[in-house]
Amino acid sequence: MRKIIAVSIAAGSFIILADRSQAADRDGGAQLAAMCASCHRLDGGDGGIPTILGMSPEMLARAMLAYRSRERPSHIMRAIALSLSDEEIVIVARYLAALNKQVRP
Amino acid sequence: MKSRTRREFVYLTGAMALAALGPRLAASESKARVVVVGGGIGGATAAKYLAVSAPTIEVTLVEPKPNYTTCFFSNLYLAGLCSLDSLTHGYETLAQRYGINVIHDSVAAVDPVAKTVGLKSGPKLTYDRVVVAPGIAFNYDALAGYDEAATQVIPHAWNAGLQTQLLRRQLESMEDGGVFVLVAPPNPFRCPPAPYERASLVAYYFKQHKPRSRILILDAKDSFNAQDLFLDAWERHYRGMIEWLPAQFTGGIKAIDVKERSVKTASETFKAAVANVIPPQRAGQFAQQNGLVDQSGWCPIDPITFESKLQPGIHVVGDASSAGDMPKSAFVANSQAKACAFAIAAALTGSERQSPHLFNTCYTHLGPDDAVSNAVSFKPVAGTIKIVDNFVSQVQESAETRHRTAREAQSWYAAFMRDTFGYAAF
Repeated sequence: MRKIIAVSIAAGSFIILADRSQAADRDGGAQLAAMCASCHRLDGGDGGIPTILGMSPEMLARAMLAYRSRERPSHIMRAIALSLSDEEIVIVARYLAALNKQVRP
Repeated sequence: MKSRTRREFVYLTGAMALAALGPRLAASESKARVVVVGGGIGGATAAKYLAVSAPTIEVTLVEPKPNYTTCFFSNLYLAGLCSLDSLTHGYETLAQRYGINVIHDSVAAVDPVAKTVGLKSGPKLTYDRVVVAPGIAFNYDALAGYDEAATQVIPHAWNAGLQTQLLRRQLESMEDGGVFVLVAPPNPFRCPPAPYERASLVAYYFKQHKPRSRILILDAKDSFNAQDLFLDAWERHYRGMIEWLPAQFTGGIKAIDVKERSVKTASETFKAAVANVIPPQRAGQFAQQNGLVDQSGWCPIDPITFESKLQPGIHVVGDASSAGDMPKSAFVANSQAKACAFAIAAALTGSERQSPHLFNTCYTHLGPDDAVSNAVSFKPVAGTIKIVDNFVSQVQESAETRHRTAREAQSWYAAFMRDTFGYAAF
């Protein structure tokens, strides 16, 4: 039940965020994605740490919320997810999903 | 160089950014200049993120050495589990892909009034902001009998490269049954779990090749980082091989005898077959010489922008900074450098700056297939930086979990190096 509520918070934020400027989202997304790049390769490469490219913004936001609620175990992702607001999760998820389309072959 | 940087930026942010980017470029008449001094993790990360976050900033990175060998993961090299080459990284991608002006030279001095960085070879670089990442220096005055010359006989191996090779060669030529004496430094020092990871991985090497050998840790402290995790692993993997003597037992480290290869404590003198002395530390020499250091020996900074509290316009990131609860680790240097780069970009271009997200993650090897990690988040509070959340591996974890963490550590290293030295698209 908690999961459903959390995900619907994220879904709600997507709608609210439609009012933010694209430039603000881009700057915010880039700064938040920089945090992800300390561990995740943002070139589509994979290893013991899975890639976060190729996912929809909804999937990424849902994964972050699952780490935050301990539903998915990883103390590193939990620390990250706890430090982000719902709005920041949505911004970074959108940015990463858009970045995926720009990756070189 | 300008068009390359711009292309890279457009490529990074996608077509949706174009409309917003145009006016900003047109509005800027001349490029702002940022000079980054030091090409370790903090410096390289700061240079890269300054370059990607604002195409209107001209970034120059000054570093004397042609490449950088990471001290983190160098304990795996000591254990024979990886090459030193695999831990060595160049600056070509930062120059070619990100348009950073990389200069291999030393910096003579910063003039904060004229806003210039003077190079040893003569030229002066003018700047709007300067980021300084000088890392650590060793406080030889604090340890009798041990100085720069002594490091050629008894290595510290706390800056990776020739020192690490020397220590590895000494371990290789040591006879089975010898004692490896490791002197662990007082707080604060670079990478709190690393001396104990080193003991673990040298024990692994001994177990494979010199099983009668022993390790003695003479500590300047009475406790150490993740102590329960290490003591548990030493009992499981290396029973009877590692002995740790805290300061309260020995009375503290008093002197090093290089000729005898021995360590004198208040109670006893310990003779080594191979010795590794990790001296007390302070901010790198450059910080000492340019008025960036307070009585603590480290550089006080603003917790949001990493601007020096002593020298306006000069930002300090990485091990040299005195950043509240943040430990001196590579991950912290990378995290601070990003926060600093975004703050500088915002100040110079008027773009929006998010509140900084500061983290530390450490992967620590207890054996090749047994690794632990911790993750900490921080936030700026009342002029300093405080821990918010701290998650650490537990003693009772399964072998499978530990094995997975060891695999994750390898993957992390590759991603982190790409993030810092810029091999990847981002």
